[in-house]
Amino acid sequence: MKRSEPMSESYYYILLCLAKGANHGYGIMQMTEKLSGGDVTIGSGTMYGATSNMMKKGWIREIMSDEPGQERRRLYQLTDSGRTALRAEIKRLQRMLENAQGV
Amino acid sequence: MSANYKKSFRLYSAWNYQKETEDLDKASEQGWQLVRGGCFSSEFVKNPDVRYRYQLDYGRIEDMGRYIETFREQGWEYINSTFNGWHYFRKLYDPSLPEEAYEIFTDTQSLLEMNNRWAKLALIVGLIFALSAVIFAIRLITHPTLPLLIQFLTSAIEGIVLLRGCFIMRNPASSRSRRGDSVLLAVFFTVIILGAVVNIVLTEQRPFSQTSQQASSIDHPVVDNRWADFKVTYADNYYLDLKFEADAPFTFAVLNDAGEPVYQVTDTHFEEKNIQLKLPKGHYCYSISCTTGFHVECGLE
Repeated sequence: MKRSEPMSESYYYILLCLAKGANHGYGIMQMTEKLSGGDVTIGSGTMYGATSNMMKKGWIREIMSDEPGQERRRLYQLTDSGRTALRAEIKRLQRMLENAQGV
Repeated sequence: MSANYKKSFRLYSAWNYQKETEDLDKASEQGWQLVRGGCFSSEFVKNPDVRYRYQLDYGRIEDMGRYIETFREQGWEYINSTFNGWHYFRKLYDPSLPEEAYEIFTDTQSLLEMNNRWAKLALIVGLIFALSAVIFAIRLITHPTLPLLIQFLTSAIEGIVLLRGCFIMRNPASSRSRRGDSVLLAVFFTVIILGAVVNIVLTEQRPFSQTSQQASSIDHPVVDNRWADFKVTYADNYYLDLKFEADAPFTFAVLNDAGEPVYQVTDTHFEEKNIQLKLPKGHYCYSISCTTGFHVECGLE
């Protein structure tokens, strides 16, 4: 993968939430709000667009839940290339933070 | 019509869709709940006991099941989609929730993606209209006629309105509630429909259709032989295609009501297309004279 483009906050948090395990849209939204202390919210239109685009990129895939009581619920799962994209973004963010040390 | 149901006819421009959701929110506050959104009309039922907030999305949805589920998860109820790709959603209003709870696009990127989906289509259609307007304008220079002028004007207006809409949609900051747009849209659709109707009527009323050619071969002399009476119902430029061959000088004329020639040519061989005749309203006919046999073809547009 070449130098990665900065990700939007929504993309970043969706991938970050999925790195902790497959989840559904609502779960991602709640976890994002919790992680960001309420700063980042992901509305339905943004969620659908972001997940569609990331499925096209092959970063995430759709699976059906097999947990009892949650059968046939749509879940998103991080793919290997999604994990690579997320790591690249984290590295980019870390470098940006390091560069800012002492400012 | 029941007092608990109403159909409202109101046009909203795509680039002003936020105005539509604002109006739907207001209607809901007054007890009218949208049950079906549409391009030209919306249907409401009366229910003063609930209050909803509305949102619109645009685009071709690849996976409708996943789409509706993604919205439902956050409390959005899918209402319906229009034939041209707008999707209506509503969410029960809860005063304790912050305003962001009623946004469906929470970052600029996704909002622009949605706006661009519409703008892309408007750009293509707008450019087609603008290109047609240019083609009509070029033809208008050599062939000034009323139907052509109407075609030019309608294409130009439609092109400008769509390209302007495309520009506004791509710059969402400039699109907050434009009040005058309902009038503009009503004018837009009136121009399209009226332009098409007037054009068909005017074209129908022209003396001969573009393809009708009259041809005649006569093997004996004629003197002021009048034929092909036609009626001009509105003053305009008309275009004559004329071709004749004769052994002796042949005279071709277009005569008006009074029998005066409005156009006349004498020759043995003649061929010319698009001879411009400025004809006032009235009755006309062709007149031919020749001392030998001849062959003549003519058509009027």
